[in-house]
Amino acid sequence: MIRKLLIANRGEIAVRIIRACREMGIEAVAVYSEADKDSLHTQLADEAVCIGPGASAKSYLNMESIISAAIISGADAIHPGFGFLSENARFAQICEQCNLIFVGPPSQVIQNLGNKQIARNTMEAAGVPVIPGTTEAILDVQTGAREADRIGYPVIIKAALGGGGKGMRTAFSPEEFELAFLTAQKESQIAFGDGTMYIEHFVEHPRHIEFQILADSQGNVVHLGERDCSIQRNHQKMIEESPSMAVSEELRNQMGMAAVKAAKAAHYVNAGTIEFLLEKTGKFYFMEMNTRIQVEHPVTEWVTGLDLVKEQLKIASGQPLSFSQKDIQIQGHAIECRINAENPWKNFRPSPGTITDLHLPGGQGIRVDTGIYSGYQIPPYYDSMLAKLIVHGNNREEAIAKMKSALGEVIIQGVDTNVDYQFEIMNDPDYQKGIFDIGFLESHQIGGVKVNEA
Amino acid sequence: MKLKYAFKRTITNSSASARQETKPEVPDGMLKKCNACKGAVFVDEVKKNNYICPHCGNYFRIHARRRIEMIADEGTFEEWDSVMPISNPLSYKGYPDKVKKLQEKTGLDEAIVTGRAKIGGVSAVLGVCDSRFLMASMGENVGEKIVRAVEKATEERLPVVLFACSGGARMQEGIVSLMQMAKTSAALKRHSDAGLLYISVLTNPTTGGVTASFAMLGDIILAEPGALIGFAGPRVIEQTIRQKLPKGFQKSEFLLEHGFIDQIVERKDMKETLAQLLKMHCENAADNRDEKAEQANKESYSPAKKSAWEHVLLARSKERPTGKDYIPWLFDHFLELHGDRLFGDDSALIGGIAYFDGKPVTVIIQEKGNGTKENIAYNFGMVSPEGYRKSLRLMKQAEKFGRPVICLVDTPGAFCGLEAEERGQGEAIARNLFELSGLKVPILSIVIGEGGSGGALALAVGDEVWMMENSIYSILSPEGFATILWKDSTKAKEAAEVMKLTASDLKDLGMIEQIIPEKEPLTRENMMETMEVLEKRVRGFLDTYCAYDLEKLLNKRYNRFRNL
Repeated sequence: MIRKLLIANRGEIAVRIIRACREMGIEAVAVYSEADKDSLHTQLADEAVCIGPGASAKSYLNMESIISAAIISGADAIHPGFGFLSENARFAQICEQCNLIFVGPPSQVIQNLGNKQIARNTMEAAGVPVIPGTTEAILDVQTGAREADRIGYPVIIKAALGGGGKGMRTAFSPEEFELAFLTAQKESQIAFGDGTMYIEHFVEHPRHIEFQILADSQGNVVHLGERDCSIQRNHQKMIEESPSMAVSEELRNQMGMAAVKAAKAAHYVNAGTIEFLLEKTGKFYFMEMNTRIQVEHPVTEWVTGLDLVKEQLKIASGQPLSFSQKDIQIQGHAIECRINAENPWKNFRPSPGTITDLHLPGGQGIRVDTGIYSGYQIPPYYDSMLAKLIVHGNNREEAIAKMKSALGEVIIQGVDTNVDYQFEIMNDPDYQKGIFDIGFLESHQIGGVKVNEA
Repeated sequence: MKLKYAFKRTITNSSASARQETKPEVPDGMLKKCNACKGAVFVDEVKKNNYICPHCGNYFRIHARRRIEMIADEGTFEEWDSVMPISNPLSYKGYPDKVKKLQEKTGLDEAIVTGRAKIGGVSAVLGVCDSRFLMASMGENVGEKIVRAVEKATEERLPVVLFACSGGARMQEGIVSLMQMAKTSAALKRHSDAGLLYISVLTNPTTGGVTASFAMLGDIILAEPGALIGFAGPRVIEQTIRQKLPKGFQKSEFLLEHGFIDQIVERKDMKETLAQLLKMHCENAADNRDEKAEQANKESYSPAKKSAWEHVLLARSKERPTGKDYIPWLFDHFLELHGDRLFGDDSALIGGIAYFDGKPVTVIIQEKGNGTKENIAYNFGMVSPEGYRKSLRLMKQAEKFGRPVICLVDTPGAFCGLEAEERGQGEAIARNLFELSGLKVPILSIVIGEGGSGGALALAVGDEVWMMENSIYSILSPEGFATILWKDSTKAKEAAEVMKLTASDLKDLGMIEQIIPEKEPLTRENMMETMEVLEKRVRGFLDTYCAYDLEKLLNKRYNRFRNL
């Protein structure tokens, strides 16, 4: 079993991991930047090592410093948390070379899943549905139209060298194809000097549905159901829930099986997440696999009754899973709101500063994961998430009611937050009915704010 | 809030305290310390990163053999003079032993490795200094190896590329070492007189007698970022003048600013840049012109009549493309070269080499910049003496290598200021007129915006001078003209009418050969059609003038101005 764990992260996730360590009798070593000297994780850990100045590149992303801190403190394992070095194959590899346990999958697995093409090929070979598309470059409209028929409409035409929406067009029917293709190709030629195009099935108004899996080093894989993370702004998730209103028991089994297949095909070990796009038609497509613990892991913890970080540490220590798929029961409904220091009414402008007064909600079925406290200064270097508010009810209705009650109790003074905005989402009739997709915040007025399309 | 009251210590499981058999540790040789930022760095990462510190960007020195691997095409390097007898002209005690020890340690015979290699497919003579060998100081053997390599290059008509890195002269060899400066310079002079190319690449550090000889004599001088380059070392200077030197003094960037190097090239781009430069100077450069060389068809197009003042406003319009907007439309692989090698590098004048139809040409443009920030950076296209001297240097270079010169003229006038006069603005312009009249390659000048007076003429002593339809070319700005003749600058509008400054007026006066039509006033957005016309016409010009023999070319140019 891991004896002493270095947590290569900060904020609420570092605190979350330290708590798991304490419960398991593992010594916790925090690392901190000069800007995080007074942070909760620095103070709560058994030991803390300063690893550099405030800027992430010089501290939480500085592999040399973190490895040195691990060796000096006598840690035998490193938990990377999320963000920072969590999906850095090179970092995992260095840990392996230094005989440090990296709490996550082997470096080679991270490497393969981080490569879009390899990941896609692996999944396709394993029979996991991927978004249908051309495998070869398309240069003329006739070939393109044939391919589009094969792929199935609607299709999106993309420039091989594209970016920033240039050289990208959608066609909803064969009649629209020629014009869309030629326009996209022309745009690409002007912008990038190249007319090489790719065609892909266009997934219209999808939901973001992801499956949590756990895989031990003995090859056992289970899935822990889904999370619906469709409420997002510019690809930043804002609210996550489990189970999803759009996933029936049958679909859950189907997607869950695909997720397990995906993890097995990738030779995955530890906690991971398979992201899918779910079409209105019920078809789903593999997007990518996240090789780390995720921000929204508490919703899964609540509906399954498992502690995912503890499971991660047990798996990393070489222990087999103590349960199998049939033991996993989804109970009730959990929702998580991310509380950020940002002002939704000023185009979500970040709001660093000092938290002068703080009151956080509590009570049955309410959980707050955070690293903030009264008097805490939010450093300007890192992301704006202050806290995660997670609720659990017997059903979705109850969960929403609890979330509204809990959000109403939150007092964070000194900085702007999105608490009121989250409250407005909870009050939106479409949200309450569970009718939404990833375009929700762009198509709805929430508290008078409509998010611009990215 | 005081967090120190928080519950802290973990109660450790006794069962969990069993130690792992393999204790975590950093394997030997995995981490090293950067000598610039003092931080720990992964050795393999530094190697993968071209020997550059991933944290602070510091360039580590590279051994000669490794550098050759990075620059020469695989397996093409053929080493010359790899065994030289140890020289000890002063019979300096212990010196031969020291050299022998270094030979054993480095596997090199001396502080430079020379030979022949292909770089991007082009054969060249390559020499690389190695700092491990007495700081790559230049003794007799180093000088000798360079001279032999250069002589062989001259004989075989090959370009020379030397990577300098040196502390300067080799003290142990005394005056003999000093003479290597003269010897290497003389060999390079012969090489140059034979019309052959020498590219010098300066790496950290290049100082002393090496700087004062072969390192600074390149037709083109490149440098790695942040390299120390100077004659006297910074410590010597500080001790002599008893002053602290400013930050960045004698670094590559400092030299670029002061006009002594053509370009700072990052290590990852060095091979590509060298290959490109060598190709551009290859005597039988591949003629990869495409077959769109139809005759410049005379478009039937009659411009709408505008007033002279309207032309002035259009020529000065913010939407109007400036010189650097033309480059991608007319040329490929533009490679900018900086500096006048005397004092500075003028941002208002951009010069370099590029391909037109697969053939190398020298491109000189006056640049105003787009938007206030750029306007200031480019000094509104007002060229300083160092700009004209850079232009002349690059045109002489074009002459040496037989490249035509294409100038894009766009300036309100030569820079008018204290510093410009101190450094001889008049002399700089005059020298250009003088030299251009006899430059032995075709020169085409195109006025693309404002052709302001002598400042424009310095780039417009061409075999032909063309104007974009909405450009102007005049003795003075209309405002200045009105002030001088009528003592009233507000009469600029009237002045514009009498000055005959529009393209069609100047064509009527026989001052220019061609007007490039603009279907609508040119903007950055609508350039395509006009640029296609311009490209065709430039092609026509080059076809005609490159075919002339030298006498005809120069007589024609002489008479063009003789008759005005």
